[in-house]
Amino acid sequence: MSDFWIHLLNQALFGGIAAAGFGILFNCPPRMIVQCFASGALALAIRTAGQATALNLPEASFLAALIVAAVERTLQYFQSTRGSILAVTGCIPMIPGSIAANGLMNLLALLSARPGDEVLAATNGMKNLLTVAFTLTAMGTALAIPRLIAPIKTQYETS
Amino acid sequence: MKKVDSLPALSDVAHLSISIGRILMECGASARLIHDEVFAAARGLGCDSAEVYCQHAAIIVTLRRGEEFCVQMGKVGEHSVNLRRSEAISDIVRRIAHDKLECAAGQIELDEVYQRISSYPVWLVCLCTGLACSAFGRLLGADWPSFLPILIGAAIGQWIRQSLIARELNIFITSGIVSFVSALLAGSGSRLFGGSHLAIATASAVLLLVPGIAVLNTQMDAIEGKPNLAAARGLRVIYLLVFITLGLVTAQSLILPGV
Repeated sequence: MSDFWIHLLNQALFGGIAAAGFGILFNCPPRMIVQCFASGALALAIRTAGQATALNLPEASFLAALIVAAVERTLQYFQSTRGSILAVTGCIPMIPGSIAANGLMNLLALLSARPGDEVLAATNGMKNLLTVAFTLTAMGTALAIPRLIAPIKTQYETS
Repeated sequence: MKKVDSLPALSDVAHLSISIGRILMECGASARLIHDEVFAAARGLGCDSAEVYCQHAAIIVTLRRGEEFCVQMGKVGEHSVNLRRSEAISDIVRRIAHDKLECAAGQIELDEVYQRISSYPVWLVCLCTGLACSAFGRLLGADWPSFLPILIGAAIGQWIRQSLIARELNIFITSGIVSFVSALLAGSGSRLFGGSHLAIATASAVLLLVPGIAVLNTQMDAIEGKPNLAAARGLRVIYLLVFITLGLVTAQSLILPGV
């Protein structure tokens, strides 16, 4: 098996575990924990494949969130719950929390930077925070698109 | 449409609508979902129209039924995420909309939802949170010796978080404390176990605090035309990240050389 597939499986496995763990933290119904795992695994697999085909982090995250949200929106016809529990939980492992923390740490480092290092710290901080902003915007937009195209009909609209 | 004489008082419907919106918001629902659920319940109880204005700390509902109208405002408590509870609210709304539940009985069920809906045991939540953070560590490139320390650090952090939230300590102070303790335990443990990615280990252990649902709700509220609520959520997320980072930086300065 090539290195790419091992990396993809690693990302999907741990993405699934992270999503299932957060499913428990969010008090997800027990019957949905396996679905949370599948959702997280699918999202991370798509993002990893996207990044392998030269997409950057925001683009790959957009693609992954869009596909997961579209699959979840399709399955929603057969589920009892409304909202987008699965898609949101599946996208949790893709939230670049560590990059956001790094960005803020770079900005904090500006306070104690020696002359000449300020530009590097500021550039790193801004780069990280911009990546976070674009990634989150991309994911939020992708999650909303399926529901905007095919809105959930309320009880009164369907009857 | 129901007969007019069998309809509940409009103020009771408004109170029920406020309860639905408040609990959903406290459970981490987006503004659109809240609007849909309140609308469905109000229409099921004979209202011609229902408008909901969601703010971060309050909800305003305006109902109209024939010549009558009623406006009520309700306060919203601390936001968290509880999907089982929000599913229970959706189930109550569905039964009201299908005429299987009266307004008064629905209100009683809503009032009891915090006691009625079960949660996972604390030890399981802490263990799974730790496992999720360890998985994050692997996704970020942490080595295997860091896996267990991250799990333990994040699990203890989650236990502290639940204890402090139960004592109603400020959410931002809580985040700072939990961030510091989790990062310190994960970093120290990784060093003890011979891990070589201490920075990743400390950062992974605090990811339980990143308000992921709030971040995604911010995006969706902004896109779906609720900019005020989105701005409030976004500001709160930024403050949370600042406190998380402060805790993380403090812990890293104790563990990592040169930070």
